[in-house]
Amino acid sequence: MSKLFKRFMAVALVVVLAFVFVGCGNGKKADLNDGGSVFHIYAWNTEFQGFFNKYVSDEKKNDPSIETYHLDGIPVKWTITTSDNGAYQNALDMALRENGTANEENKVDMFLAEADYILKYVNTSLTKDIETIGVDDFSQAYQYTVDIATDRANVIKAASFQCCPAGMVYRRSIAQEVLGKSEPAEVQPLVDSWAKFEAVAAQMKAKGYYMTGSYADTYRVFSNNADKAWVDENKNVQIPTPVNTWMTQAEKFVKEGYTKTEGVWDGGKTIEFAEGGKVFCTFGPAWYYNFCMGPAMGTGDNHEGGTYGDWALVAGPQAYFWGGTWLLCPSAGSNDSLVSKTMNAFLTDEEVIEKLVKDDSQFSNNKKVNAKVAADYEAEGKGNGLLKGQNDTKVWVDMADNIQVKYSTIYDQQCNEGLQTAFVKFLKNDEEINTKAKALADFFADLQKAFPNLVVPK
Amino acid sequence: MKKDKNKKSPSYAKWGYIFVASFFIVYLIFTFIPQVLTIYDSFFDYSDIVGTLENIVYFCGFKNYKMLFSVNMRGEIELLRCLGNTIVIWVIGAIPQMLFGLLLALIFTSTKLRLKGQGFFKTVFYMPNLIMAAAFASLILALFGTIGPFHTLFVENGWIAQTFDFISDKTWARILIAFMNFLMWFGNTTILLMAGIQGIDDSVFESAKIDGASSSHVLWDITLPLLKPISVYVLVTSMIGGLQMFDVAQVLTGKAKNNSTRTIVMLINDYLVNGNYGHAGAVSVILFIITAVLSIFVFKSINRKGDEK
Repeated sequence: MSKLFKRFMAVALVVVLAFVFVGCGNGKKADLNDGGSVFHIYAWNTEFQGFFNKYVSDEKKNDPSIETYHLDGIPVKWTITTSDNGAYQNALDMALRENGTANEENKVDMFLAEADYILKYVNTSLTKDIETIGVDDFSQAYQYTVDIATDRANVIKAASFQCCPAGMVYRRSIAQEVLGKSEPAEVQPLVDSWAKFEAVAAQMKAKGYYMTGSYADTYRVFSNNADKAWVDENKNVQIPTPVNTWMTQAEKFVKEGYTKTEGVWDGGKTIEFAEGGKVFCTFGPAWYYNFCMGPAMGTGDNHEGGTYGDWALVAGPQAYFWGGTWLLCPSAGSNDSLVSKTMNAFLTDEEVIEKLVKDDSQFSNNKKVNAKVAADYEAEGKGNGLLKGQNDTKVWVDMADNIQVKYSTIYDQQCNEGLQTAFVKFLKNDEEINTKAKALADFFADLQKAFPNLVVPK
Repeated sequence: MKKDKNKKSPSYAKWGYIFVASFFIVYLIFTFIPQVLTIYDSFFDYSDIVGTLENIVYFCGFKNYKMLFSVNMRGEIELLRCLGNTIVIWVIGAIPQMLFGLLLALIFTSTKLRLKGQGFFKTVFYMPNLIMAAAFASLILALFGTIGPFHTLFVENGWIAQTFDFISDKTWARILIAFMNFLMWFGNTTILLMAGIQGIDDSVFESAKIDGASSSHVLWDITLPLLKPISVYVLVTSMIGGLQMFDVAQVLTGKAKNNSTRTIVMLINDYLVNGNYGHAGAVSVILFIITAVLSIFVFKSINRKGDEK
């Protein structure tokens, strides 16, 4: 009897195990650290916290009177460190290194990272293969959001809740005055290549306008379409061809007076977005024109002094992406199931994602939902007020599939920012950095100071 | 018997030690240990792990120090360049600061003028020092930035080109930083020098007066020579403070990465931002040695004053 029972148990065990393995799917073994009493999340601002509270937490609303939110009954704790001067990364790095030995309440269970430095967290054993925690349906995600989160061994380490295609936004009134056309469909053919873009710049100059407000406005369009990585496998620094093209363009644009010598974030650029501004266009994703073009918005409900409704969005010379936030799971976290639930909510839960797009003006990381919302808006005649009611979601849907990120390295942030900083010295006729060659030497010197092991071209 | 002995000479020494201990504990934790760790770190190679999450470093002897003295792509030894920048900016600010401080100190201590409201003036002169340096620098940045009022004023009068930028210009940026340091510290210098002048025995001035010495004679032959020890102290402490110049310069020109205003502590900061504690440590050690030499000089000069008496 007992022998029979033992045999029965053995068979039962095998069957159960078989189900477990099949259940994991994708051939990856489930690997979950669970049982933490607190769901601890690291971030640099509260943007994602709002979405989490509203769409994922048990409470399902973003209400400041709620002190502690819960997920599956487990309290959620946020550690927010601003990203000024690398403070966020410093705090996060320290926490991640000690995550294995930290007491359970302090363990980081999930953290957020930006496109510019995500690779540092992807290429480390301190973060987990998210397919092993059950995040494995990327069928509706944009490929670049997966590519950038994939490590050297082809393991996916992060999931994004947004997609950040970027394009060119321009002033309709200036387009009408200079080009005689103002609608996106008419203007796009005039700027769909860099040569045409330059020709329009010359026309703008002739009428007393600037093409762009910053010499670096187009930088990301070039750099995020790179043909090679900033640093090769042997740590040799190389300048991607599009970045070289940008340098030529920026030099010409400044010399000809097509643009101003202001940085992308400088007040001298954004002030031109206000009423009476002399700048024709700028570049950026939805988050840029919705949240970073203050002077265009003007003041009050009537947008006084602004240029609200005078803008329009087109793809411009080249599709590209800029920014974005990813969620990652540390190897030594203690609430992997909750991480999985959170990631999947923003990747595959269509109901949640639709609200994210409609109520929070995000462009989500789900192709199907984005397309549905774009179609809904088209049918309802709904659109973005800043863009004179243009249905920008539809523009993004058409563009987002073309985004590619093939070459990223952990050095990208320093390379992109460093090159621009050095090059603008040359553009501004610095006493010492007064040639392009000297600007590059200046860039290489600072890059080598940051990363002593990189080999720079002599 | 024993009890009596204790009663006769109760030992208060332990309370003294306990009160002093708080300083030593704070010094140990927040100054001494970090100092030792800085020196320790300066002998380790962090090059492989900067920008990564790895945590493995190895002993590398004087490699970090050697690297600091190698010529970079700009064709300069950056450490020396930064040291030079620091000294130049310090000189531009400190010389007017000393002269102005001395002038004010002489005016306020003058028995001829007998100025009223000294307390008020002293407070006002010291005020700029109370503003946070970073806030002050932000203000100057706003005033002299490319959309600041000074830029507009200068462009409209045709003194500078539209593309000119005070913050990235070598001369202007240095002068602005020196000016801020001057404004923040001249009050301090004035107060110290006033104390120095007031510390000179009145009888010396009186006998000079009786002997018919002119004001300039009194100044050059009595006040200044007797003020020498305190002047040396003011000068050297200002020099040590100057070597550690950071906040004002960083806030004003850090973003523009102006090579002519990068001070030596800004160089340390550049290394620290990337977690390169090896190089940051090496620069810190060099700065420590320079500061130590200057400090010894201060001690010597103060002690000499004691000997003369």
